[in-house]
Order: sequence, then structure tokens, then C-alpha cells
Amino acid sequence: MKKRILCFLLCSLMIFSLSACDSLGLNPAELQSSITIPDDGMIYASVFKELKEQNKVTTFIGESNGFRYEWTVFGSDIDAVKDLNLGIEFVEESGKKIAFSYLSDEDFGFSPVLSIYLNEQWDVQSATVYEVSETDSTPKCSASLTGNDKSILNFSSTTQMGYFEIMPDTVQNTEADKTETPSENHNSSSVKYDPYLSDGVNQSGKVPDQSGRVLSDGKDTKQDKYKTDPVPKGKPMPVEPEDQEVDTRTTYTCTFSIECSTILNNLNDLDPDKLDAVPSNGIIFAAQTVTFYEGESVYDVLQRICKENEIQMEASWTPMYNSAYVEGIHNLYEFDCGSGSGWMYRVDGWYPNYGCSRYQLKQGEVVEWRYTCDLGKDIGGGYAIGE
Amino acid sequence: MQNKDAFSNYHPFVNFFYFGLVFGFTMFFMHPVCLLISLFCAVCYHICLNGRKSVRFLLRYAVTIMLLTAVINPAFNHQGSVILCYLPTENPLTLESILYGIAASVMLVSVLLWFSCYTAVMTSDKFVYLFGRIIPAMSLVLSMTLRFVPKFKAQLKTVKEAQTGMGRDSANGSLWKRFRSAVTCFSIMVTWSLENAIETADSMKSRGYGLKGRTAFSIYTLTDRDKGALFWLAFCGIYLLSGSLSGGLFWRYFPSIRGVLTEPLTVSFQIVYFALCITPIVLDGREERQWRSLQSKI
Repeated sequence: MKKRILCFLLCSLMIFSLSACDSLGLNPAELQSSITIPDDGMIYASVFKELKEQNKVTTFIGESNGFRYEWTVFGSDIDAVKDLNLGIEFVEESGKKIAFSYLSDEDFGFSPVLSIYLNEQWDVQSATVYEVSETDSTPKCSASLTGNDKSILNFSSTTQMGYFEIMPDTVQNTEADKTETPSENHNSSSVKYDPYLSDGVNQSGKVPDQSGRVLSDGKDTKQDKYKTDPVPKGKPMPVEPEDQEVDTRTTYTCTFSIECSTILNNLNDLDPDKLDAVPSNGIIFAAQTVTFYEGESVYDVLQRICKENEIQMEASWTPMYNSAYVEGIHNLYEFDCGSGSGWMYRVDGWYPNYGCSRYQLKQGEVVEWRYTCDLGKDIGGGYAIGE
Repeated sequence: MQNKDAFSNYHPFVNFFYFGLVFGFTMFFMHPVCLLISLFCAVCYHICLNGRKSVRFLLRYAVTIMLLTAVINPAFNHQGSVILCYLPTENPLTLESILYGIAASVMLVSVLLWFSCYTAVMTSDKFVYLFGRIIPAMSLVLSMTLRFVPKFKAQLKTVKEAQTGMGRDSANGSLWKRFRSAVTCFSIMVTWSLENAIETADSMKSRGYGLKGRTAFSIYTLTDRDKGALFWLAFCGIYLLSGSLSGGLFWRYFPSIRGVLTEPLTVSFQIVYFALCITPIVLDGREERQWRSLQSKI
């Protein structure tokens, strides 16, 4: 009796340990202390070989003309190991732009993120990298801005040779882009039941914009019943998700992206286990035009996009704020990169000071989900949490 | 006093050291092979100590606890990179969370079984012998608390029988009557346990327990056999500790499963871990064989 039980247990032990063997081929990514780039910029192949073979992540730090720059290299990205020149020379430029040229005369073969630490703050949402030749300049890629009081530009470009310029994107509020173009003509929108018009909100003098959404007049001084501070003037008022009816007959489009480039600037604070979850270019979902339905909130769209693209996402409903709270996307959770880290969302350059289930989307809006490592201060959204 | 197995005959310090190591390693090694080794040895030792009663316990409670924890974890933990499907809460069900749930349940059950073995081997006299000098009050409180539950159960049975004999049966009569007799029974038990605790403390005090310079009789001596066992346990402990600190037993469940499994050093750590956990069963088996061979010679 005793022997039979032991035998059975031994067999089950063997089977279990065999079944646990899959997906072990890869080493876990590991952070290596940063490497300083020498004046001539040359980094030898042996360094990259180690990174590649041991699946390490490191930053190469250099300085030129008063600018600090950093390459974040993921060993898993490196295909062919060779000597590389990581040096960059910044050119003195007048006005709000950065000009630099790579010392390298060949492409790296992979595209690590280059972070440029500016000496001032750029009060813009994003910037664009232009490749400048003698005749013209062509936009190459867009750079995301992070950084607390001095901006950091993060971008990953496939080209690592030549002369480049980075210019801040001027805020383009082209109304033509924002006008409603529902795919199905739905001209009864002004007649149908609208929660804004029927409840008390409208009596306080707030006016709905052309899509029927109520904008704040900036006159509120008290928190609403879900602890939301007064919404700044001209920004949409929160909409309670239980009042919203999703109408799948009317579709709109918006631009949607998920990115976490600020983690690349704070790799030392990151939970070492989570390094595998960080995309090497800092972008989890590149900016794309996506379709949404009438009455959907930012959260609804996030949830659908994550499901469709098999991006892991966890959220929990918070009754106190009457909204879902996004705990983690792509296995990057709140508090994974320091005690002030977590996910925030930005719509058309503004971080709403209420939950994502209460933001009703409008045609043509640009939604960005961004990871913060410092309560939003590093991604330009400090005020959304009451600063 | 009859000991349950050969390992119980060893010096209390050896027993305590062994269980300390096993508890620590079981709780901190989340490597699946280590967990299975621990569970396997815990089950074997539990059967060795308790016989048929143990099998019933295992089937009834251990399996239930295991299934429950394995199911609960993926319901609340949604981390992991392999998404299997979506739960009604719209959060993903991931392969990693299921595997972690199984690992956690194995850990929980093996710790439970080890504690059950611990109470069988480390009787309160051994515990008081070890700690009576260093922390007299604490060790008395501990041994009294540990002794309290079985004592309470036995006393409850006696009180219940006496009450039934007096016609105040808590199993018969109207709901109110049954409730009243149950409350009476409970009140008797509370009074008894308070009084019992004071009595025990007083009797220990009157015997001079915890006084400076007081010696206590003990039948335990640290023999060469015990020294050998201590040496072996210390070797295993240091080897495994250095192994886990050097990452030789690295295993991660989130965000994706990564770990070392077949590297020679890892295998050696696991062999040592298995040898450590199985020690009491081997000792018991050796003693039994020795006993049988001696018997046949006579």
C-alpha cells in the first residue's frame, strides 16, 4: 500500500517536471550598469557580443556640446555583432530645435532608442526627427517627450548615419480633422435622448460642443461626487459610464497609442523581472487610427484594442471614482518602476483629471496611454493628479 | 515515552534545525522541482508518522486546499504573457497565473504537512528543553498554546458527555433549548480554559520555572550520532543557501516563465535538497533494517 503510493507520487513528480520544461529556451533579460561612450564614439564588438549572448540591457551614455545622450540597447535586438560608433555630435542651433550628426558611417542593423537630454523644457506633446540632406529635409520618425523639468527626447530610428534635426510639433488643431464624419449618416443626434440635456448639468450654463459633449466653463470650484477636481475651462466634463449607451451603428475614428518610453529613462528603478515586458523601442502599440462606436469611453477602446492585439491588460472597477482603474498594460503594472509609476492617458495633449471610463471619445481625438515613473510629472501630466 | 520514528529519537536541536531548514526552503524556493521535492517528502514523512490516518487526511483536506488555491489564484491574478481567454470581469486568464496558482498551492500544502510532521516530532517537552532557558516565558506560552487545542477538544468531549448525562443534550430538544445548552457548554469551556491556564502558570511558577540558576532534568544528550546529523544538516543548509543566493535555483513566473532547470549546478542543488528533505525517512528505514537484521541473528 505504502509502496504503491510512493510509486504513484514519483511518477506524477516526473510528469509534472517534464511538463514545466517549455518556454525555457531564453535567458531572462538582465540590466547591466551603463557604459560611457568614449570621445571618438567607438564601442567594440565584444561589448555587443556579451549583450547579445547574455540577453542583457544596457545604456550607453555620451555627452557632446552640452547635451547628454543615451542609447538603450537590448541585447535581444542585436542581429550581427560588429564594432559600432555610438558617438553623436550636436550642432549649435538657434531657436527651438536640436541638430546633430551621427559619427557612425553605417547603420547599426537594429534600432535602439536614443534619448537626448535637453537643457530646457519643451512645452509640446511630441517632436519630429528630420533627416536633413543638402537639398531638403524629410521627416524620419516621431520622438516622444518625457522628463521632469528638462525634457528628454526618446526616439528609435532605423538610420544611424547622417545629419538630423529634431523640431517640436506645433499643436495643430485643424478643425477639418475634428469634424464629425460618422460612417453612417446619423442626423438625428440632436433629437435623440441625450443625458447632458436632460439632467441638471446643462442648467449651470455649460454648453455642449458640436458632438453633444458638455465642455467645462471653468466656473466649478468644488469636487463632484466622484472626487473629481474642477475640470479646466474648455475641456470635456466627465460622463458617467452607466448613462452611456453604446450605439454600434455609428462609428468614428480616433488615433490610439500605448507607449512606455519613460521606463527606458528610469531602467534602474524597474523591477528586474519586468525587463522582459519592456519593448525595446518603448512602444507597445504604435499610433494608429482605430474605429470606435458612439458613446464609447477611452477605457472601452483600450479594452477592445488590447483584446484584439493580444496585449495583456488588467483593470479594476473603482466605485469611488466611478471608473475603471488600469493597473497594468503589457505586464507593466503600477509601482513596477518606482513608487510613483503607473499608467495615465492623454487626449489631445491633455491628461484628464478623471477616470478613463468617464471620458467619452469624440471623432478625431488623439488618445495616448503613457507610462509614468513620477506621478505624471515626467510625462507632462502632473496636474492631473492634483499638482 | 514512545517515539514515532527514528528521527524523533535524535536530539531536539537536530529535530528543530531540520524543520527550520525545511520550512524556510519550502517557503522561499518557488522552483517547481524544489516544490515537488518538498511536497513528495512531506507526504512520505506524513505517511511514515501517521500511517493510515495520514492518507485520509491527505485525500480529504490537502487535496481540497490544493484545488481551492490553484483555482483562486488565476481568478485574482491576471499577470502573464500567455493569454488563454477572458474572464467575465474582462480581465485575461493567463497560463502563468494558473501555473503560479498550482505552485502556490503545492507550497501551501507542503508547509501544512511539514507543520503537521513538526507537531508530531517536536513534542512540547522538546521545545521547552530547547527554549526554556533562553526565553522561558515565551516558550511556556508557546507550548501551552500548542497544547491548548487538543486539550480543549478532549475537555469539550468530557463536558458534553456530562451535560448529556444531566439531560441537557445539545443534540435534542427545540432550537432554543439546544442553543441554550450549547451556550452553557461553551461558557463552561471558557471558564475551564482560563482557570486551566492560570493553574498551569501557577504550578510552573511554584516549581521555580524560569528562575536564575535553576537546572532542569532532561534525558537528551548530544551524542556523536546527533553531531553527525547536525553536520549533515549544516552542510545541506549552507549549500542550498549559497545555491539560491547565486541564482542556481532561479525561477520566475511573471511576466513570463523563466528559470534554470537542467544546468548541472541546479540539478546538484535539487539532489541535495531532496537528500535533505528525505533524511528522516532514510534514517527510519535504516534503523528498521538494522533492527530486523539484529532480530534474525538472535
